[in-house]
Amino acid sequence: MTATRPTILVVEDEPEIRRFLRATLEAEGYRIVESPSGRRAAIDAATHKPDIALVDLGLPDFDGIEVIRRIREWSGMPIVVLSARVHERSKIEALDAGANDYVTKPFAIGELLARIRAALRQAVRPPSGERTLAFDDVAIDLEARTAVRGGVEVHLTPIEFRLLGALARNAGRVVTQRRLLEEVWGPTHREDTHYLRIYMKQLRDKLERDPLRPRRLLTETGVGYRLAAED
Amino acid sequence: MRPRFDPVNIAMLYMLAVVVVALRFARGPAIAAAALSVLAFDFAFVPPVGTFSVEDAQYLFTFAIMLAVALAISRLTEDVRVRARAQARLAVEAETERVRATLLASISHDLRTPLAVMAGASSGLAESGERLRPEERTALARSLFEQARKMSDRVSKVLDMTRLETGAIAPERDWASVGEIAGSVLRGLAEPLATHRVMIEVPDDLPLLRVDAALVEQALANLLENAARHTPTGTVVRLRAERQDREVVVSVENFGADLPEADLERVFAKFERGTMESAGGMGLGLAICRAIVRLHGGRAWAEPIAGGGIAFRFTLPVEEAPAMPPEPALR
Repeated sequence: MTATRPTILVVEDEPEIRRFLRATLEAEGYRIVESPSGRRAAIDAATHKPDIALVDLGLPDFDGIEVIRRIREWSGMPIVVLSARVHERSKIEALDAGANDYVTKPFAIGELLARIRAALRQAVRPPSGERTLAFDDVAIDLEARTAVRGGVEVHLTPIEFRLLGALARNAGRVVTQRRLLEEVWGPTHREDTHYLRIYMKQLRDKLERDPLRPRRLLTETGVGYRLAAED
Repeated sequence: MRPRFDPVNIAMLYMLAVVVVALRFARGPAIAAAALSVLAFDFAFVPPVGTFSVEDAQYLFTFAIMLAVALAISRLTEDVRVRARAQARLAVEAETERVRATLLASISHDLRTPLAVMAGASSGLAESGERLRPEERTALARSLFEQARKMSDRVSKVLDMTRLETGAIAPERDWASVGEIAGSVLRGLAEPLATHRVMIEVPDDLPLLRVDAALVEQALANLLENAARHTPTGTVVRLRAERQDREVVVSVENFGADLPEADLERVFAKFERGTMESAGGMGLGLAICRAIVRLHGGRAWAEPIAGGGIAFRFTLPVEEAPAMPPEPALR
């Protein structure tokens, strides 16, 4: 994170929502730039060079997903989507268009702040991500491909390591099923979601304290998976 | 040849037949019956018997009367039938109207209550916020948040129900794991379920299901929410899944509530609540659950558990999942 206050671009057409976002985010020490429309957002993103963008999906002029695409044409800044739609499809579209994460309205501000922090942390990390992963009594070295749990070595298969690695590179963020399938099994297996179900279960059985109530390898039903390595 | 009955009485018998036909069937058959009986009467009883010709012109009068009476009766019965149908339709409309009115009353009550709390709490904060003690301020703000969440949840339920009923939801089927869905539901409902002891039993070898996981998650969430809401704090809620032949049965069992036999089915109707219900909720959870399950070709029902408690169960059909290639085959 930069030493100065990080700037957040808030792309949201509802003035009341912009108002409470500005109030609470400023109180948290962020600088705010507001864009009431998609068209404005494209310009504001270029001129203000914010550290992160919050994009509402339901904008009056063009879809929030289009805003994400335009920003992604030239910038890798983290983008968190604010979605009033409960529909999984729009979340997936937004994530596939390049959004880093999403928060469903109505949200508690704490939830939003956590997502913003995670996304900003992500942005300053080297693209290769962390080589090691530790949570609870589990320690994993993704490069050496070793996993230890409670001092005992756990055997993970190469695919399990790859899957865990894909999640670890995006720790704290949801990764869509499609992307996981592409990264781990290759583009031809993009639709083979049953692979994911089977391998996520195996990983949970090996790494979670209570595999039926996972606390680390989380399912975002219908969307993807999220590794919650930090408490 | 002299028949035992006077031909006039025989004509009366034919007429009776016409009346019966007119009462039982529509207008067309009644007229046909009238014409037919006139012809039959003429053929069999009117001299010269065995022909359609008529000796005595008087009988033409009899025929005319027979036809006229048959027509009149068929007309009258038709009228009665039409009126009865209209009345039945009116009754249905009145019932629909009554249901709609109750529904509206219940929705507006359920939405107004949180609104009242929100209006009160927020105006209190705005107008006398600085005179309040900090912890009171926080408490008011918290209740604002809680009520807003509750309200948002209720509005979504109404919308979901409408969308399910109008067929606006097409399930996006995909391979899904019941265990995974259960884990996700329990995480999402951690707060409302914190008051209960939740047990979960999902066998390791449960097959994957081809369902819309998000919808099934919602169906399951509604059952768990209900259990948390309607059973005493501290009681056990058990979430179970098991395979039975060509289906997977998912159950949410509680050991803290009883439902009269008569209510087991009723609670699945829209805006219906169990008799002991006072704990809030729109009375939509179970209706939504059933609609989602039916969309997937399953059934949803409630049954008492021996020894006390109620089990809410639903089934989802099992399809053969594609094989998973053994790992070495994958690069």
